[in-house]
Amino acid sequence: MSSAWQFYIATLVIYSFVYIIAASGLNLQFGVAGIYNFAYIIFQAAGAYCTAVLSLGNPHASGSFQSYILGLSLPFPVPLLISAVFAGLLGVGLGAVTIRRLRADYLAIVMLVISLIATDVVTDATGLFNGATGLSLVPQPFSSLTSSTTAYNWIYAVYAGVVCVIVLMAVRTIIRSPLGRSLRSVRENEHAASALGKNVVGLRLFVFGVGGAIAGVSGSVLVSFTQAWAPSSWLYGETFVLFTALIVGGVGSNLGPVLGALLVPVVLAEGSRYIPQFGSPTLVPSLEWIVIGIVLIAFLWFWPRGVVPEPKRIFPKSWSRAAAPATLFEDDHAPQRVGSR
Amino acid sequence: MQSLVLYIGFGLVTASILCIGAIGFTLQFGISNLFNLAFGATMTLAAFIAYVCNAAGLSIWVALVLGTVAASLLSYLLNRGLFVPFKGRSSNLFAMIMVTLGVGLVIQYSIEGIWGATNFSYNMTQGSSEHFAGMVFTNTQLVVIGIAVAEAVVVHSLLRYTKLGKAMRAVAVNDRLARNCGIPVRRVVDATWLLSGALSGLAGVVLVMDVQVLNSNSGSDFLILIVAAAVVGGIGSPYGAMLGSLVIGIVGEISAGFVNAEFKDIAAFVILVAVLLLRPTGIISSVASAKEVAR
Repeated sequence: MSSAWQFYIATLVIYSFVYIIAASGLNLQFGVAGIYNFAYIIFQAAGAYCTAVLSLGNPHASGSFQSYILGLSLPFPVPLLISAVFAGLLGVGLGAVTIRRLRADYLAIVMLVISLIATDVVTDATGLFNGATGLSLVPQPFSSLTSSTTAYNWIYAVYAGVVCVIVLMAVRTIIRSPLGRSLRSVRENEHAASALGKNVVGLRLFVFGVGGAIAGVSGSVLVSFTQAWAPSSWLYGETFVLFTALIVGGVGSNLGPVLGALLVPVVLAEGSRYIPQFGSPTLVPSLEWIVIGIVLIAFLWFWPRGVVPEPKRIFPKSWSRAAAPATLFEDDHAPQRVGSR
Repeated sequence: MQSLVLYIGFGLVTASILCIGAIGFTLQFGISNLFNLAFGATMTLAAFIAYVCNAAGLSIWVALVLGTVAASLLSYLLNRGLFVPFKGRSSNLFAMIMVTLGVGLVIQYSIEGIWGATNFSYNMTQGSSEHFAGMVFTNTQLVVIGIAVAEAVVVHSLLRYTKLGKAMRAVAVNDRLARNCGIPVRRVVDATWLLSGALSGLAGVVLVMDVQVLNSNSGSDFLILIVAAAVVGGIGSPYGAMLGSLVIGIVGEISAGFVNAEFKDIAAFVILVAVLLLRPTGIISSVASAKEVAR
């Protein structure tokens, strides 16, 4: 394989891992706990900005052309960890403000607006993260290991893959644990969950925090690779793409977000690159969004549970027979016995 | 002080455009229990149809009417062909919002695919400037305010004095009860979507006449302000939409004048979030309470 192809494929692999990380965080919030967080992308942005300002170094150094807050140059894994914690805390904070019992679609609107406010604020307050231009030249964590860009991409792909596997295992552990069961009970019927003694607000805040932290990790991994981050990288349309990925892949399952992230953002976005240019210059990029919209509507109509539906968690039949005095109700002769009494 | 009055004048113009759109948006929510996020896309489409007619040599006023009619028909078809079948299938509110968002994206990017990502403007004059008590309006802006006032009066009379209007109010509060009382709910819903679609088209064309820039994002960017006005006033209530438009329009222009232009949207959004968190049913809360938007 030529070096250019290798470079391209490695880049694609990295993007796939980032989308999988982001989608599984959203799956925890939306799929497992039933929170309609339309502001999800701002947590990815928080992680990305956090990593950027923690590794870019002093903004007042000579030759610096961008203005931003903080400006530290911490060694490699530290910005990632701080980004995760920061995005998680931001999630808990935002969750604490918005957890009023709003109707589902109403909450979605609130979150959408919060996402827009965040974009506007970061764009207007140029001292914060360099305004609309955004931050660039974020240092690459492994640049000392190799001088070849293709080899670097592969090293980075391994790193992104390791992070991705850790995140997926963590999410899987949560989904399968008693905690995951509590979260699903909150999703299905919060009053019933609350009557059984579940702390509904606490569970939701937990998910806001963990989901936010995972989004922050995805942003951190992405920004150390692309080396640039601006308000145009996290418009609310990106949240919509992630939701579409989840709905296509399967909401609430372990494998759903992985498949959805590979199918929607990666295949659709990359696929449009191979469509030859025709019509107006904006036609092909527009088609990409049109297809995403149509795919979403089609899935909601034909396959609302996605490609990999959430497994129905029921006890095996033998268990339920053993647990309940089943013979009384399932025995063919039961009615006669009642009648003969 | 003088500049404050001037900004209030600008605010009245913005509020007029908002009012036209917000009444349409809020009527749709009231009658169908649906946040129609495709509303912005129908606005943009109407504005582009008016642009095509205008560029073909028709007067802007004829173009305005044609754009309005097109948006009206499109909204009706979307509701009958897509939203109603989806609602019949499941009552999942979140799925409905995703559907309207998806439809909005398809329309918006179809427009961008056809006309490109460039800016257009209508072939029209803004007319001379008129001064009223420290406020300045162009002739076009006066007409826009006039259209908004006329629209508010028409909607008020419709809801208050006609049989259709009474039926619309009944369906908005409780559609099952309305059906049991013999109101033809299907026809009332259709009429509402034709009307509110027309209002979306009117708002779209009037918006472009005022700001003199049209691109594929025009409607969807403005939609958030419309949602803000409708929600602040009390979602589902047309009178609330009028009040909310005045609040969002005037506060927005004042903060744009005294702070900076970008602050206009931020001010509106902050008001919206504050209202949603403190009093989610808005100023006039009757319909919003009936729909249980917040518990």
